[in-house]
Amino acid sequence: MASLSSSLNMAVHSLGAATASLQVTNNNIANANTPGYTREIAVVQEATPNEGSVSSGNGVDLLGFQSVRNELLQRQIEQETTAQSGANAQLSTMQEIQPTFAVTTNDIGTDMSALFSSISSLSTNPSSTSSRQAVLTAGQNLATAFNSASNTLTSQQTGLNTQVTQDVSQINQLTKQIAALNPQIAELNSTGKDAGTLQDQQDQLVLSLSKLTNVSITQTNEGVTLTTGNGTPLVAASQSFALQTTNLGDGKTHVLDSSGTDITASLTGGDLGGTIQTRDTTIPGLLTQLDTLANQFGKAINAAQATGYDANGNAGQNFFTVPTTVGGSAASISMAISDPALVAASSDGTSGSNGNLVNLSAVQTKTLPSGQTPSNAYASLVYRVGSLTANASAESSATTASLLQLNNQMSSVSGVSIDEESANLITYQQAYEAAARVVSTIQSLFSTTMSMGTASAA
Amino acid sequence: MRVTNMVPDMQYAMQQSQQALSTAEEQVATGLRVNQLSDDPAASANLVASLAQSANVDQYTSNVSSLQSQMQMADSSISSIVTSLNSAITAGTEGANGSVTSAQRQGIATQVQGFLSSVVADGNATFSGSYLFGGTEAVTPPFVAASTTYTSAKGSAASPLSSTTALTAGSVTTISDATTGETMTFKAKAGNTIATLQAAVASAVSAGTLSAGTSATVNASGHLAIATNKSADGIVVSSNDAALGSMTAAPNTGVANAYAYVGNSSVNTTQVGDSLSVATNLPGNLLLGTGSNVIGSLGSLISALQSGTTTDIGNAVSAVSAALTSVRQQRMPLDNTIGELNNQESYLGQETVTLTSQQTSLVGANTAQTATALSQDEMQNNAVMAAAAKVMPQTLLDYLK
Repeated sequence: MASLSSSLNMAVHSLGAATASLQVTNNNIANANTPGYTREIAVVQEATPNEGSVSSGNGVDLLGFQSVRNELLQRQIEQETTAQSGANAQLSTMQEIQPTFAVTTNDIGTDMSALFSSISSLSTNPSSTSSRQAVLTAGQNLATAFNSASNTLTSQQTGLNTQVTQDVSQINQLTKQIAALNPQIAELNSTGKDAGTLQDQQDQLVLSLSKLTNVSITQTNEGVTLTTGNGTPLVAASQSFALQTTNLGDGKTHVLDSSGTDITASLTGGDLGGTIQTRDTTIPGLLTQLDTLANQFGKAINAAQATGYDANGNAGQNFFTVPTTVGGSAASISMAISDPALVAASSDGTSGSNGNLVNLSAVQTKTLPSGQTPSNAYASLVYRVGSLTANASAESSATTASLLQLNNQMSSVSGVSIDEESANLITYQQAYEAAARVVSTIQSLFSTTMSMGTASAA
Repeated sequence: MRVTNMVPDMQYAMQQSQQALSTAEEQVATGLRVNQLSDDPAASANLVASLAQSANVDQYTSNVSSLQSQMQMADSSISSIVTSLNSAITAGTEGANGSVTSAQRQGIATQVQGFLSSVVADGNATFSGSYLFGGTEAVTPPFVAASTTYTSAKGSAASPLSSTTALTAGSVTTISDATTGETMTFKAKAGNTIATLQAAVASAVSAGTLSAGTSATVNASGHLAIATNKSADGIVVSSNDAALGSMTAAPNTGVANAYAYVGNSSVNTTQVGDSLSVATNLPGNLLLGTGSNVIGSLGSLISALQSGTTTDIGNAVSAVSAALTSVRQQRMPLDNTIGELNNQESYLGQETVTLTSQQTSLVGANTAQTATALSQDEMQNNAVMAAAAKVMPQTLLDYLK
């Protein structure tokens, strides 16, 4: 049966619901610009109606607070973040490598051309000591260019070792923090309470982790379980599994899982994966191409020298010193002769003959064992460096645009709209005022009832 | 879709427009469309090949210039030789005149000796320190005064060389004959002795390479002596055999008006185009020696004038005339080469322009397009900034009072 008490109770519950809604709105506005904040709503529902001869409503029940989140979007954002970080890692290194192969006054291509120009110039006066010295100088410049380019690449590799160590350290910090949040979130969820704030913190940590490496996420009753893309455990319930770094004697920093297994090659995505790929695949590929060119070019010049005679009438010696194997050729190629007289210009042993210079010049258009002329082989290397950089840049741009869209979608679901919260403020304010008016009215009715049947009333 | 915050979109739009503006500014400032490899990897790679070709063209141009100077120097020397021969023919013709006295003929002979000396000097002309007409023997004079006898530095009365003295394997001994204009080259093999060299000299005489009577013997002083048996036949001998030491002309054995060619017949070529090479030297033996026999004919004219026989003088003058004709023929390839170089110079100039244009099209920026793009990007950037400034500060709270 309806009564003033029940009406008062309803009004009080209304005040409570409005207060809670105002609190949520206040919290949303306060955190409008907090990174990773998921907006909350007060979950209210109609109270169970009174059963009797006449059924009547029983007001509103506040069920609790709920975060408005989209787990699927969150996973997509994490994946795209991983891809973007991986691309950026490759891009930053390639941007530092790129200038080494740009056209300058002393890049490999220019120095190679200068060597052939000096050989051609010598052909007009093969007895000239100054022209012979010019050939040696050009050879030295080319060797130096090879050394410098190789050094740039290997220096980058060494620098990336430091990055690997830093990334692993950050990963370990993050997994520790994520693992610590799991039991807290699990407990709140098990009691039906909203773990929104802690969940937001955890989501941000996972997002930070995604920047570093590709992670696979599974939700369980005990919280999130995280593994790397290839299944190496990182977090399970309240436990985190720290990664380690070590040097195995090959000059590279390797990553080991918590049981000591080398997982370096299996790490993909993120800054760590991108760094490892750049260090272990991209740069070695460029080095191999550079070393092959230096080795084959050096040997071709040496072979041409050997077919001629120097100014003293002796058989031509090696022009360059190159290792027997390809590896390290660019780093170690150097001049084998320093005496201008040892340039094997002659084809018959006479000092004025230039007959062997045609053999030296022919190296320029000779197909090396790699299948290309020296100039084309270098052009291929230039193209490769340029396209690797361009591709990384394009992927970085594409993932940035994609992330913007995903974040907009996420914001659409979970973001705080100041305009919307402003409108809600007014709504809940009016609701509160209305409920308060009901309370006042019922209070007045109580007074009227209490004064019923008194003498003043008669 | 709920739109909660326009700031990220605006920041992205501003960044994109500023990036485009920055790119346009860089292109205008540098004049290049491709400022780093990643701007256009294919164009960057093609530029490498084009620049290599440009370097070749530049070097060909330099080679042409250098060779033009060298060829003109050679042509000038040949012109001088032609002048000397014409003068010798005139003088010889005068000397063949029956009315000329013996004393006058001696004077004419002296004149022709002067012409011969001038021809030898022209034959020994140099360019940038290298002898023009020595073949590929560029550091020693190609025409050397001949002597009847050359002796080795090694050997003595107490310790004479002999026919069994071993020669150094790989050593080279050359004998250039002023009369025949030919050169005998002997390269010693392992086991060879002086007897082997003696046999080689005899064979060369039989073949006509060396004058009849030329021989190699060990003289009373124990030295190896290589000598002709006629006072009018002269030779020049060189050897790098350590067993013989250097070969020098014996004192007072010089042959008047006799010069031997000690260069070789090798011809150098130099590339002046991707598919064009030119011969860069004219061996002196072809110009003045066997082919033309300029020196021999002048020597014969001098002898004829000194001997006083008009018939001999007439014949000698005819020989000099024939030599002159031969010199003119030998000169023709040189003149052709000079013409070829001049044509190639023009062609290379055009190639340079073509390659420069190619490189510009690969990586250069079209000035008009770049300036237009810069203007458009500036407008776009301003529009984005204006839109951001207008929209960003607005919220519902601005309207709720």
